Amino acid sequence: MAGQIKELIDTIIAKRSKGLKGLIYTTKAKLLLKGIDPDGYNEASDDNPLILERIRKIAVELGVDMR
Amino acid sequence: MGIITAHSSKETVRDIVSDIGHQASGFAPNTVIYFASSCFDPESLSRQMQEKFKNASVFGCSTAGEIVSGKMLKGSVAAMLFDTESVADICIAVAENIRSENRVPEAFRQFEAYYRTQMAEMDFEKYVGVILADGLSGAEERLMEKIGDLTDVVFIGASAGDDLKFKQTYIYANGKAYTDAAVLALIRPAKGFDVIKTQSFCALDRKLTATKVNEAKRTVLEFDFKPAAMAYAEALGIPVKEAGSHFMRHPMGLMFGDEPYVRSPQQIRGNDMAFYCNIKEGMELSLLESTDIVSDTRQALAEKKAELNSISGIINFHCILRTLELEQKGQTEAYGNIFSDIPTLGFSTYGEEYIGHINQTSTMLVFR
Repeated sequence: MAGQIKELIDTIIAKRSKGLKGLIYTTKAKLLLKGIDPDGYNEASDDNPLILERIRKIAVELGVDMR
Repeated sequence: MGIITAHSSKETVRDIVSDIGHQASGFAPNTVIYFASSCFDPESLSRQMQEKFKNASVFGCSTAGEIVSGKMLKGSVAAMLFDTESVADICIAVAENIRSENRVPEAFRQFEAYYRTQMAEMDFEKYVGVILADGLSGAEERLMEKIGDLTDVVFIGASAGDDLKFKQTYIYANGKAYTDAAVLALIRPAKGFDVIKTQSFCALDRKLTATKVNEAKRTVLEFDFKPAAMAYAEALGIPVKEAGSHFMRHPMGLMFGDEPYVRSPQQIRGNDMAFYCNIKEGMELSLLESTDIVSDTRQALAEKKAELNSISGIINFHCILRTLELEQKGQTEAYGNIFSDIPTLGFSTYGEEYIGHINQTSTMLVFR
């Protein structure tokens, strides 16, 4: 399986930024500083379970409902 | 009037506070921010500054050098005073015990009670936060991460200094002096604000991935599965014993597009590398090379001036490592001059705060 990491990252950015340009930048920077490069994954990236788990934890920290 | 600055290099706290008060006579501030050399008694300074400006929110911190419009100073107190033309509203809160506790939610509850708005809902275009933290607490990353988790409002600021003694830094607020603490201010600027984050580095094409770290100690044990110091030296093509002398010119950057979030090495400990901010396991970092601080800062400011048309004041959080580099190169005066025509307050920091904890930047809050 591939692409789930990018999907989760995109969901966090979309929900937390509400599509506002200024918040897209800060949300991406927050992810980067939490150890997840928001531009470092694409649809072909392997679904590394450790990274998926880490991103889900970050979503909780950022108050983003992933459902 | 909006914003004025004042500074004093007199010898006693009493004379300094009196001097600053004299320079501000006729001005009715609602907010006073000040940065002070660590040579002054912190309790006495904080108490007297609050007494002098009774009707204002007064806060600040100790420094490793002060900046005021056009000048870089040492052994002084520099202040910026705001009235309602520049700061429409302000609320300050002190978070104590930051080494061991997360007091950000408590501070945020104070803001929510004051502004009657949840921090998660606060308009990030109307409000800006300022944070000044104990520069020897090692807690800045946690503070900034928690802040960023709970709000979209940008908090910018810095870690307090103590003139390179590395013994004790102080935060001033409410007429008291604090250690192991941070002061947070949530400000509603009257005419808007912006942020400048500038650093003078270009990324080299050499990257290192942190494969073993001790986050709490801000230490990298391994890059690319090799002892960190060896990997860093190899990447630069230098002997390990010379690595320390390259830290200022060649820090590392967590790259966001072309923009580095700089992580500055502090020292080599055995085979490990200690940094001035933490690096998480798995982070890929680019080796950076320094460029010219004066010309880069001048350009960053010119671009912001052109974008905003006018700037009424700047708070410049300026890394001590940049100050040291400017001193080495004899560029201190030239750097100060960049800000000579804008009311400016700043200090040489032990790290800057903007979204996270960063190094070797000038991170500036710009008031329109």
